[in-house]
Order: sequence, then structure tokens, then C-alpha cells
Amino acid sequence: MPKTLRVIFSAFRMAMLHWMADPQWIIPNIIAPFVFTTVALTLFKDSTGPFGLYAVLGGGMMGMWGNTLYSSGYAIEFEKWQGTLEEVLVAPSKLLHVITGRAVSNALFGLTNMVAILLIAAFGFRVPLGIADPFLFAVSLILTLLSVSALGLIFASAFVLSRSAQALTNGLETPLYIVSGSMFPIALLPFWVHPAAYVLGPTWGVDAIRLATSSEYASQSFWTGMNVNVAIFLDLTVMLLITLAYAAMAAVLFKVVEKRARIKGTLVEA
Amino acid sequence: MNHLRIFLSSAVFSFRAQFDWLNPSMYLTMKFVLSLSQMAFFVFVGLFIRGPEAIPFIAIGNALQSLSWNTVFAVINITGHDKWDGTLPLVLATPASRLPLFIGRAMIHVLDGLLSVAISFFFAAFIFGVNFGQTNALALTVAVVLTSFTMSGFGLLIGGFSFHFRNPLVFANIFTFVLLIFCGINFPVQDLPPQLQVASYIFPLTYGVTAARNAIAGATLIDISPVLGQQLAVGLASMLLGYFLFQAFERSARKTGKMEAV
Amino acid sequence: MVELPPQKASVSGKAIVAEHLCKIFNVTKGMLRRNKTEIVAVKDVSFDVDYGELFGLVGPNGAGKTTTIKMLTTMLIPTSGKATVLGFDNEKDVTRIRERIGIVLGGERGLYTRVSAIDNLRYFADLYGVPPSVRDKRVKELLEFMGLWDRARDRVETYSKGMKQRLHLARGLINDPELIFLDEPTIGLDPEIAIETRKMIKELVEKGKTILLTTHYMFEADELCNRVAVIRNGEIVALDTPSGLKKYVMETSVVEVEGFGITEKEVARFRELAGVLSVSADLGENKQVLKIQTPKGSEIISEVQEILRNSRIYDIKIKEPTLEDAYLKLVTD
Repeated sequence: MPKTLRVIFSAFRMAMLHWMADPQWIIPNIIAPFVFTTVALTLFKDSTGPFGLYAVLGGGMMGMWGNTLYSSGYAIEFEKWQGTLEEVLVAPSKLLHVITGRAVSNALFGLTNMVAILLIAAFGFRVPLGIADPFLFAVSLILTLLSVSALGLIFASAFVLSRSAQALTNGLETPLYIVSGSMFPIALLPFWVHPAAYVLGPTWGVDAIRLATSSEYASQSFWTGMNVNVAIFLDLTVMLLITLAYAAMAAVLFKVVEKRARIKGTLVEA
Repeated sequence: MNHLRIFLSSAVFSFRAQFDWLNPSMYLTMKFVLSLSQMAFFVFVGLFIRGPEAIPFIAIGNALQSLSWNTVFAVINITGHDKWDGTLPLVLATPASRLPLFIGRAMIHVLDGLLSVAISFFFAAFIFGVNFGQTNALALTVAVVLTSFTMSGFGLLIGGFSFHFRNPLVFANIFTFVLLIFCGINFPVQDLPPQLQVASYIFPLTYGVTAARNAIAGATLIDISPVLGQQLAVGLASMLLGYFLFQAFERSARKTGKMEAV
Repeated sequence: MVELPPQKASVSGKAIVAEHLCKIFNVTKGMLRRNKTEIVAVKDVSFDVDYGELFGLVGPNGAGKTTTIKMLTTMLIPTSGKATVLGFDNEKDVTRIRERIGIVLGGERGLYTRVSAIDNLRYFADLYGVPPSVRDKRVKELLEFMGLWDRARDRVETYSKGMKQRLHLARGLINDPELIFLDEPTIGLDPEIAIETRKMIKELVEKGKTILLTTHYMFEADELCNRVAVIRNGEIVALDTPSGLKKYVMETSVVEVEGFGITEKEVARFRELAGVLSVSADLGENKQVLKIQTPKGSEIISEVQEILRNSRIYDIKIKEPTLEDAYLKLVTD
């Protein structure tokens, strides 16, 4: 395994070990997604249409957002609280790779919200759940996860570089749920919000995931009239390009973080 | 000790709307951005599933739900969790003597709550097109004030329970979200499974939302007074219960010498 | 794959060359009115360290020891000056230096406490690019070497202070570095553990490692170091071997006389003696102890016997100047 991947995987594993040591940490991050989804499920009840789908998938997405915003956002701060930031910074591997491992794990753990919602939807609300194309579903989900992780990296570096960025997070969560079209089609939103939606990589991923889950959704997707597989391919391509842009931004931001740590040394409080 | 600090720090920071309300930018964010985006989220979901008729119901519901933060502030005041050090300052003052302080500070939060609701109503009217034309202003004002007050009082009860939790403020925060499910905010209480509906009537907010909706539809103060009466009763009962919980906790803490129930 | 250069057997070049290192921090305080202050952590530090040397950096708290180490280990960029570590520039060849050095900052931090020792070491091994084929074996060896193997799978939060310190050391060695920086390695440790630690440090040097150590235990620097630099207010005030530094305070050896029947009269007579700098007397009921500071050293003994001929002398000790004396003189002038 090339060294970079090894570092990412090692950081991922470390994050997993920490999560297993204290799984309850995730609760504050997914309480909003969980409650919002439950509300949506209740609203969906007795309605016709692929709403159960929206609820469950939307719930998963929102869980990813919540955990990414808070856990990834504070990924570097976490090292500070642990007292390990200096040791991690002085290791030869890039901080970017270390935090990537953590960001991916955070997005993944955010999916636990989806599991919880799935159970409630299946048993509490008796929503029929079936996946039309499991392979494409899995691929879309994984790529969306990576896209969310890349955003997590941007949050992580931004939060360290700017105190006001941290204050911003509190307002960011629910707007992200809205703009990413997790729980309802973006078409419902005023037209001037649409650019923000399309710039978010995961928005395209959610579209792809829905397409792979149920044919009922096709009429509401971004690519109405197109063959489902082609639409999914297009979604994923757009998302991939956006994600690469995120990764490039994150790389630059992390360089700035490392430089600042070496000049100011104040990333670490004595 | 290090671990506890880390846990608290983490839980704190993964908290929506950190209690840095002393920080002006945080306060403004909470007031405007949070309330608007939460309302927008549910309005769009409602619009998607149930159509435009759902919008006023949801918008007004969310406007009132913003008062749940009063409960949380009340919890902070009464348990003294202003400082994030995980230690209860009860060592310094007994819960009973904190009551006057609580009532004093609660007044500030009641006013603050009124401001939140006013702002939310503004959003409801001008962004989501809710018709306030029929509103009985007196009835609505009384309903909102009473809700604000009773929800602060409810904080006493939550505070009383909170001693059993490692991190009381996470518990309080979770509470504000859970209200979204139980209090008829986004859908009528009757939409819930019957077993869960019982819980709805414990919260003063449930009554307040109903009263507010009726007032906006044109009901007079007399029309809504039965509901307000129920709300007042529930509010006072929760305060009383909360007070007893505090006494009980304080007594047991004196006996065991422990300030924190783990 | 990281390929570490072979251990340099012959001294061609130095392990560390520090040239006029300076570090000034700009600190802005306050939320509304931003007050800027400059903190000069290191003014001007120059020294070099040979391969295979155990070099000591001593000084009071806040003198700049830790900041100097951080500049040498690439954790901080100097405000001015330059450092060459293992032949690499500390600003341009950062990764190459980091691959080859070990750093032990110690203390209560620097480890993930919710996770086991073995997981901690594996993680840092991966961060340092230790090849997977070597990694698990080395982790085991290090834990065994540090006497932690049977507790390897326990969470670090269950470890005692001494165990944590040993784990820190293990982590500092995870990439088999040729140069190791130890920042106050025995501070706060129980004496037995501190002795163990010093033994390990000596063993590492015997294996051919180069070590730069900071401490404010003078006896430790004396015992371990080939050379010692004394740093004070961000500058080096002395640099020499321990015995060289002690010569600096040679004139103040202390003659300790323990006896009975010594009174103030005798003490006064000692004070009047030529060449006596000071006399401190502890005149107890059953025993009296005099400490006579004098450059004369053993020459004074005949005079002691003369003055105390009517008293009983139990013991005469001549305390040679210690590194501690030298250090105190250097930092308190």
C-alpha cells in the first residue's frame, strides 16, 4: 500500500478505535438529523409516492452532514484536546492525509443515523424498502461519502484558521440539509438557491443514490427523460469533479495550517 | 480527569448553538439563521409531502418552538452550568437559594423568547406568506408570553432531571429537538401513534402552539383561555415537580457528599 | 518507503549545527482591542552537536530550551538564523529531517489515552512511514524494551506516570531515529524510574544514537552529557563539558566540618581567615556543622584543626563544586 494510503487508513482506524471507545459522542451530532427525519417520516405517513425513500436516504445524508460538520470540523481541535497535535504535526506524513482518514470515518459514522431511521421506517412506519440497483447504490453511496469527507477537510482547516468560521457552523447545519436536497427535491426551492445546491458535490450524489434506489424517483431527478444509468453516471461524474476541486482547496488550506503552526506555534496551547 | 474534559469539550463543541450567547455573533446567528433555516426546512418538507396548505401550520409551529431555548437557558441558570468545567457550583449555593436568581434571570429569557417568536413570525409572514390578517393580537400576545414563561418554568423540571446525566446540557439540547416530534409543531399531535400522544400533553409548548394557531386564525382571548389554563397548570406542575427534585437531590448530595450523580 | 541512511561511523559533518537561531512570537491579546506584544523566546543560539554525542541543554524555565528544540526539530520556523540537522536544512528539507529524528516532549500529553499502547505505537509507526513488514515487530520490541509488553493492550489512561513516560520514549524511537531529542525526560518521575530512564538513555548512545537532551536537573546533565550548553534568557551563556563548566566555579568549593564544642567564637575566627569567602554555621545542641566556602579547598584543613583544637571534630568533608553550583552561578549573575 503506498505510504499515503497507509497513513489515511491508519488515521481512519484510529478514529474507529476512538469511536468504539466512546460511541456516545456521536449523539449530539446526529440528534438533529434523527429528529428531523422522524418528523419527515410522520409527515410522510399515509401519503403516496416515494416518500419513505426520501426519509431514509435523506436521514442518512443528514447524518453524514451533521457528523461531518461537527466531528470533521473539529478534527484538528480534537488532536489539540488529546494533546497529540504537536506529535502529529512533527511526523513526516502530511496533516492533510491524517485528517482525511478521520474525515472519511466521520462521514461513515454519520451513516449510523440512516441505520436508525431505516429501522424506524421499516418497523414503525412500515415503509417498503427495496433497492432497484444495489451495485450502483453502493457505488453512489461511497462516492457521496468521499465528497462529504472532502468538504469535511475544508471545514477542518477553516475552523483552525479562523474563529469566525467556527461560529459559522452553528448556522450551517440546517441550511446544508435544505440546499443538498436531502429531504425534498431542489426544484421546490426558490431559483436563486439552486446555484448553491449545484455547487455542493453531495447534492449530485444524493440524486444518484435515489435513482439507484427506485425508478419512481426518475421523474424528479436532475436528468429527467434520460436513461437511469446514464443519469447516474452523469451525477457521479459531476460530483467527482466537484470533489476534486474540494480536495485541491483542502490541500491548499492545510498547507496554510501547517505553515501557521510552524510560525506561530500557537495552534497548541500550553 | 483529562478524559472527562475531553468528552465534555467534544460534546460541547458538537452542540448546535453553543451557549456562547454572550458572544454577539453567536446570538445573532441563533436568532436569525437557525430559526429561519429550521422553519424553511420543515416548510419545504411539508410543502413537498402535504402541499401548500401545510405551510401556515408548520411555520407557526416552528415559530413557537423557538421558545424551547428558554427551557435550556433556564436549565443553565438553575444548575449553574454557565461554566464548562463539569463541576456543579451547587457547592456554593443551594438550589433553593438559586430560585430568586432563577426567577430574575428567567424574566430576561422570557423577553428574549418573545423577540425570537416575533422574528419568526416576521419570517412566516414575509417569506412564507402566512396570513396574519385575522390575528387577535391580544390573544396571541398572551399565548406567546405564557408559553415563554411556562417553558422557562419547565426548565426547572429538566434541570432537576439533568443531575442524573453526565452532560446535562446535551440532554437539554436533545430536549429542544425532541419537542419537534411531540408538540404538534410540524403535524397535529393526533398524527402520532396513540401511545406517544400521551407524552405531548406534558409539555406546555403543545398547548401554546394550539392557542397561538387559534389566535392567529382570529380566536379571542376568551376562546383560547381553556387551553391557556391547561398550559398554566402543566407549567406550574412542572415547576413544582422540578423544585421537589432539586430538594431531593440536594438532600441526597448532602448525605453522600456527592455533587454529581453518575 | 523510507530509506534511512546508514549510521555515520566517521564524523564527517555534525549531527546538528545551529547558527544564530532566533524566535520571536507575536502575540495578539484581547477580543475587542487587539494588543500586540512580542515575546522573544530565543534571542541568539548557536552550537553544534557531534554524531554519537549526548548533548545537554540546561536552563531555567522560560529560558528557551523547548523553543530551541522545536526549531531544530522543524516544529517551529526560526524568525532568523538557520539550523542544519543531519546535514539537512530545517526549513527546506523538513520531511527528510522528520523521517530521521525522534522527539520526546513527554509530560501527560502526546498519547491517545482512550486507546491501547500497541495501537498508539502502530499509529505513529504508520505516520512515520515504518514499513509494514517491520512495524509490528518493532512495536513489540520497543514495548518489551520498555517493560510494557504485558500491558500493551491496555488503554493508556490506565497507565502510571512512569509507564506513560516509557511509552513516550518508545514512541520517540518508533522510526529507529539516528538523532533523538528529549525534552526533560525524567521530570516528575519517581527516582527508580528516573534512574531506569537515564540508563536507557545511556544505552541508546552506546548503540550509536545521537541525543540532545534538555533538563534542569544538573546532576542528570553531569551524569549523562558529553557537553552541556547553559541557556538563559534565550542565549547560551556557557558551553563546555561538565568538568569544564565546574572549573568555572572552582573557587567556591565547600569545606563541611561536623563537630562538637564549636561556638560562635570559632565561627568568627573562620570568617576572619584569609581566603574564606563565607561561613554558614548550624550550631545545634549535640552537633555543629560549619560550611566554609573557600577557594583553598583541602589546604584549609590544617587551619580548621588549629581553630578547633579545643573542640571535637567528627568529620571534614570537602565538597567539590558541582555542576549545580556552576549552573547557579551562570544563571543568577
